[in-house]
Amino acid sequence: MARILDVGCGPTKYPGSVGLDMNPNTAADVLCHLDKGGLPFRDNSFDFVRAEHVIEHVADIIATMEEFHRVTRPGGTIFLATPHYTDYSSFRDPTHRWHLNTYSFLYFYPGGMHGRDMWYTKVRVKEVRNYVSLLRLWRALGFEFLVNHSRMFRQFWEHYLSFVIRGKLMEFTFEVIK
Amino acid sequence: MALILDIGCGRKKYPGSIGVDMSPAGQADVLCDWTKTLPFVDSSFDQVRMIHIIEEVDDIFRMLGEAHRVAKPGARVVIMTPHYTDHASYCSPAHRWHLSSFSLWFFSDQPKEYDYYAPAQYRERKVRVELLRVWRALGFQFLINRSRPLRKFWEQYLSFVIRGKTVEWELEVVK
Repeated sequence: MARILDVGCGPTKYPGSVGLDMNPNTAADVLCHLDKGGLPFRDNSFDFVRAEHVIEHVADIIATMEEFHRVTRPGGTIFLATPHYTDYSSFRDPTHRWHLNTYSFLYFYPGGMHGRDMWYTKVRVKEVRNYVSLLRLWRALGFEFLVNHSRMFRQFWEHYLSFVIRGKLMEFTFEVIK
Repeated sequence: MALILDIGCGRKKYPGSIGVDMSPAGQADVLCDWTKTLPFVDSSFDQVRMIHIIEEVDDIFRMLGEAHRVAKPGARVVIMTPHYTDHASYCSPAHRWHLSSFSLWFFSDQPKEYDYYAPAQYRERKVRVELLRVWRALGFQFLINRSRPLRKFWEQYLSFVIRGKTVEWELEVVK
């Protein structure tokens, strides 16, 4: 059976997972504050680590990704969901420290930015899926399909269009490389 | 006489208020690090003002908790901060948070599990967005402030073009 960790699980924990949260008024099995020490698990403990609407809150994204990477087995999966920085939800919560886009995790890819590895962390993941959803109007007009259809169109959208045709939610699936 | 507290009053203290600040250069009556605790007893003030300060503090919930503590039941807390689409939100390297007109929704909508983060209870009495002069002249400011759905539509679809300037809240202290 897959070992699943749901970080920041809130009141609705992912079925069959170990739930982790800092807030005791949730479905958490383990109470822990991500910014105060790491995750209370051994290396390679999980096949699948998911963190929905967590990464935009943490004090240190690199340190947090290193912890997610550490507790996930080689070849395991990390799933993140977080607002795109052009969505109003990115600015609706006074505890959102970071405003991110679809390139924010290039940092952890082999050959990271412009073909060069970033040297601030040794953690590496492979992008399996990167999906950005848009607001209803733009989806109805076919922009969500286009933006996710090709890398080039997504880049064009990020550079030229995203303040008008605004993003909403980003979903990243990474494969852990060790 | 109504007792008014002006937190982070700077050089332009609200007339008739007690000013609190860190620097002696302004008009402060009380010098202290107001980002941590306020040196007043519970339920002392009829009004608490926080003008252009919440975007700079480490912990907004802690500040609003302290303001709640020193305010009387039913007192008003007035907050002003730059909208995240205004250039002013990015002008100061001391600005930690970039906020919208829905950033204090925790306090008024009060979803249960959020009590942990924001235990102080407020009722949102007024939210007002100010826009740049051109947009105001064209009537957008009037429209946006007319209803919550219109304001939400503006936040979701329009605010990077018809950009915001300042957001002002009036919260009622619930004890």
